[in-house]
Amino acid sequence: MTDKQDAVVIERTLDAPVDLVWQMWTVPEHFQAWYGPDGASIPVAKMDVRVGGKRLVCMEMSSPEGAMQMWFTGEYREVVENKRLVYTESMSDQNGNVASASDMGMPEGHPTTTEVRVELEDLDGRTKMVMTHAGIPADSPGAAGWAMAFDKLAAHVATSGRR
Amino acid sequence: MTVTIDDERLSETFAALANSTRRAILDRLSAGEATVNELAEPFEMTLPAVSKHIKVLERAGLVVRGHRAQYRPCALDAARLEEVSTWAEQYRPVWEARFDRMDGYLMQLRRKRKDRRTR
Repeated sequence: MTDKQDAVVIERTLDAPVDLVWQMWTVPEHFQAWYGPDGASIPVAKMDVRVGGKRLVCMEMSSPEGAMQMWFTGEYREVVENKRLVYTESMSDQNGNVASASDMGMPEGHPTTTEVRVELEDLDGRTKMVMTHAGIPADSPGAAGWAMAFDKLAAHVATSGRR
Repeated sequence: MTVTIDDERLSETFAALANSTRRAILDRLSAGEATVNELAEPFEMTLPAVSKHIKVLERAGLVVRGHRAQYRPCALDAARLEEVSTWAEQYRPVWEARFDRMDGYLMQLRRKRKDRRTR
């Protein structure tokens, strides 16, 4: 789907049963406990965990201008309990309207959606978890990851900034 | 790219970039250095408001300001931006930190369950 370089793949073995690790991703109360980056909290996590169901997550962090909220929305693409969870993620407003490339100060038609894939495997009471976070090309359904916006901006800067 | 970026610095950069005005400022600076006045022109904003955005970008290491002239032109510090340019590499430390927390949280839950059982 994308270059290897355009995906983060992380494998962990967790000392917890697979159903509990599944809940880490699918039960808001648990998800909120670990998801936020350090110094951030997750005041909102709405999850309609079924294929086609929507998700809406708010991340709140302190910034030099006071508390800053970032909203992310997405849709569940694969839901196989205790085995596989795939969802998309885009930056959005608090109502889950995807921030378009132009809202983000980026040229039209560039990708702002990323995909998170979690694969779980029961290892006799422990759980192997493989998480893949990948960008989605602009022409695929869904389309658009603010992370990729950085990429674009940085590439733009790298080429034009050295004139 | 094998640059390691610590989580705190990364959130700072993310916070700085998570604003369309600041991204537009960076975009403008990619065409060359500019004064605060020049940067303020395309926005319906007061100079102090624009200065505030520039300060955020400065703190995040994305913009540097000259010392020679009185008007201190702003310039882009491309190195910092390149550091976070491969988004997959930006995200890796974020996820690693998340999973560390998940690990710790799972342990907490287990301890609580054990307490309940022994009570």
